[in-house]
Amino acid sequence: MSLFRVLPKGDRFGLPFWELEKMRDHMETIYNALAGGVSQIRKNYTGVFPLVNLAEDDEHLYLTAELPGVAADHLEVSVKADTLSLRGEIRHSEAGDEVNYHRRERESGSFRRTLALPVKVDMERIDATFKNGVLTVTMPKATEAKAHHIAIKTE
Amino acid sequence: MSPELNVREKQEVTVGTAETTSDRPMFSPVVDIWETETGLMLMADMPGVAPEDLSLDLQDNTLTLSGRVSPPPEGRKILSREFGVGNFYRQFSLADNIDQASITAALKDGVLKLELPRVAPAQPRKIEIKTDETKPA
Repeated sequence: MSLFRVLPKGDRFGLPFWELEKMRDHMETIYNALAGGVSQIRKNYTGVFPLVNLAEDDEHLYLTAELPGVAADHLEVSVKADTLSLRGEIRHSEAGDEVNYHRRERESGSFRRTLALPVKVDMERIDATFKNGVLTVTMPKATEAKAHHIAIKTE
Repeated sequence: MSPELNVREKQEVTVGTAETTSDRPMFSPVVDIWETETGLMLMADMPGVAPEDLSLDLQDNTLTLSGRVSPPPEGRKILSREFGVGNFYRQFSLADNIDQASITAALKDGVLKLELPRVAPAQPRKIEIKTDETKPA
């Protein structure tokens, strides 16, 4: 989607149609990001480690990150207002640099990532678990952020 | 202070020509392989794989790592996806000097650790030569 667009001159219907088109483009981007497979990752690629997935249901927000080989005590999750921070370190101290590597694809180092949460969460009841190298942070939505189902009365 | 980690995208793979029944992608785990005094050490990142969902197959000098990752619970709506979730699969061909019978594996925190010992080199052996003198009279 280009940032600037040339408006057709002298067309008095130009503007509303342009707005509609912009809206459609926007919808398409959202749709692709949600429905697309791995090929779509590049689109919301942030360039900051670790990559995270964010999901929700009526009651909770779920954040997942793949952090294989991280010791739980080298991992820190903190939430402040509606910002979540992840920091930690991946250490592969098993072999030094002196050994003869046949393959060396895994990386080690420190990481720090801060992300804005889309809704307010109940900070007192946040739960973080680290299992099989995957971090899952379960955040209950704050009462005001939950969807209210309104019963419809019939007469 | 250790260097800052950079993002590396997961490598998607297709296995063979057969199509899989699931529409989930399959990924190739990143590995480190290095030489030790007794053989080779292999470490592979397979986040989300529980020990009971890992399978290691050895056939005709080909070592196959495959790990199943459980799909996320139903009823969750994805808000943003930066990495794909799917099973892991990768094959290695082993050199002849690996002692296939004594390979050991351990999986912890999503990291598989495989020890591949070399076949012990033939020990020098002194062969005793029998002479007539040792024969019982």
